[in-house]
Amino acid sequence: MTTTPRRASRREQHRVGGTGAKVTVRNTLISYAFLLPFLILLVVYHTWPVIFGTYLAFTKYNIISPPQWVGLDNFEELWQDEQFWSGLTNSLKYILIVPVIQVIALLVALLVNRPMKGIGFFRTAFYVPVVTSFAVVGLIWNWMYQQEGPVNAVLGFLGLHSGGSFLNNPATALYAVMFVTLWKGIGYYMVLYLAGLQGISPELEEAATIDGANRLQVFWNITLPGLRPTILVCSLLSTISAIKVFEEIYVMTQGGPAGSTYSALFYTYSRAFQDFQYGLAAAGGIIIAVISIIFGLINFRLTRGGKADG
Amino acid sequence: MVETRPAPAQPDSFAVTAARLKARRNHRRRLTDLLAYAVLIAVALIMLYPFYWTLITSFEPTGNIYEAKILPKAVGLRNYSEMWKGTTVPFWRLILNSLIICTLGVTLTVTLATLAAYPLAKMRFPGRDLIFYAILALMVLPNESGLIVNYITTIKLGLLQQTNPVIDAIRQYMAVVLPGLASIVGLFLLRQAYLGIPLELIEAARIDGASELTIWRRIMLPLATPTIAAFAILEFVAYWNSFLWARIMLPDKNLLPLSAGLLELNGTFSTNSRAVMAGAVITIIPILIVFAFGQKYFMKGLEGAVKG
Repeated sequence: MTTTPRRASRREQHRVGGTGAKVTVRNTLISYAFLLPFLILLVVYHTWPVIFGTYLAFTKYNIISPPQWVGLDNFEELWQDEQFWSGLTNSLKYILIVPVIQVIALLVALLVNRPMKGIGFFRTAFYVPVVTSFAVVGLIWNWMYQQEGPVNAVLGFLGLHSGGSFLNNPATALYAVMFVTLWKGIGYYMVLYLAGLQGISPELEEAATIDGANRLQVFWNITLPGLRPTILVCSLLSTISAIKVFEEIYVMTQGGPAGSTYSALFYTYSRAFQDFQYGLAAAGGIIIAVISIIFGLINFRLTRGGKADG
Repeated sequence: MVETRPAPAQPDSFAVTAARLKARRNHRRRLTDLLAYAVLIAVALIMLYPFYWTLITSFEPTGNIYEAKILPKAVGLRNYSEMWKGTTVPFWRLILNSLIICTLGVTLTVTLATLAAYPLAKMRFPGRDLIFYAILALMVLPNESGLIVNYITTIKLGLLQQTNPVIDAIRQYMAVVLPGLASIVGLFLLRQAYLGIPLELIEAARIDGASELTIWRRIMLPLATPTIAAFAILEFVAYWNSFLWARIMLPDKNLLPLSAGLLELNGTFSTNSRAVMAGAVITIIPILIVFAFGQKYFMKGLEGAVKG
């Protein structure tokens, strides 16, 4: 049996230069055979969590007894839970890191994009934290932040006041963890900016230079507009991961001291895996998801708005 | 720039001005290079010193442990032997677990993605666009409850049941790798690579009577090797570094991968941080080796992951 291809697929066919085989029952069966193992796992571990997680958010569930429908009770409980609010606030504070990480990563990318001797070493050096597990990174920084540790030693050397251990102080713990996220993330965004920079045609920059533009003008009028798509992707990625910050907190502070470093996701984790309140945790998960979608959209709007005049 | 523009059109003065301009540009270039190096070295120090500090401290047998230093006060392997002997969990077991989990995870993830990407890129069948966009939507949709529901699924699938030591181990290794096997990013990367393969090659093979599986194995896989290598390296790093899922889920501490086991050891070894530092160093080394050999592919894979 041969069916005529739909318009959309014909257009797609045109775009990719044809797909060859005709639509036949045999080809369809073969195609699904190729896809099946992937699709099964995708449904079980990616689609099902979305569906079942949404359902769980409206129930009381502890795995042992079946889920009990409670309507919006979980959301109400979250609303009244101070710990959840402080977690949410911390996750939003974490967004402070986004502009810092973007500016530094872009600056570093501009520097390592220059043809200089030994640039490969620097690119690699900045990337080592990225490929290291948060388990290891977290442990290392726990040691670095000790009262007698290197961070305080450097601060003391610079004549700055160095107090106790940063992670034991509720006033500094969150910012200390933020610094580790920044430190670990710069290399990742640097590589993305490097890729973006290499996509900008050097002829444009040369032409501008010949026309008498100085370095700053070239950067402002040619390089930066050319990087807009990369900036959009990077700031979206870092905003969403800031809202979902978890692993560094899990390894470094476990929400302490005095609950000062609870993030929204760490809150849901502890409700689920310490208190076995899976429904409440799922409700928290939905709130985090909605917030990341909103911030994603805002980000998208802002950067695309900029693109129009670029 | 304007004042150096040559006013008289005589060839001599042209050459002089050009030479002066060039010298000036070179001078300025050297200055900016110097400044760039200064900044790069400063950033590199901040990036690498914590690793270096951990490395040298892990070799020191005694002394003021958290002190900032440039060279170790003394060098010995005591911390490494202590870590190796372990207390609750033998360290070699953690390494073995990580190797098994990485091998299983990378092989299966790459196989599944290379298979699934083929019809999506090069075949026509009803539902293709629907499946493609559904997968796309899953990537955009944040999957926050994933951890919780996947934990429930793992229990319901009976993967954490305990009956026979060997079967338990196999089931638990599977429980660790299963949630990560369907890699959406990998599917996109490979679909992208397949799209670039000329259709004539596939047509010719089809006319010669090659089965789709043969075409996949003999044409698609070899021509997509750079992307597959990049993806495999990315997956190796991801599986090697993963700790959260295994740590939450595995009841048997003997089956933890290295990263997760390290956190466990940090708890039990709290009196001997130096031994944990030795463990941290051992955990980083394989990644650095893979990274050193695969750096080119790795960077490409990462760039493709964003562009694709």
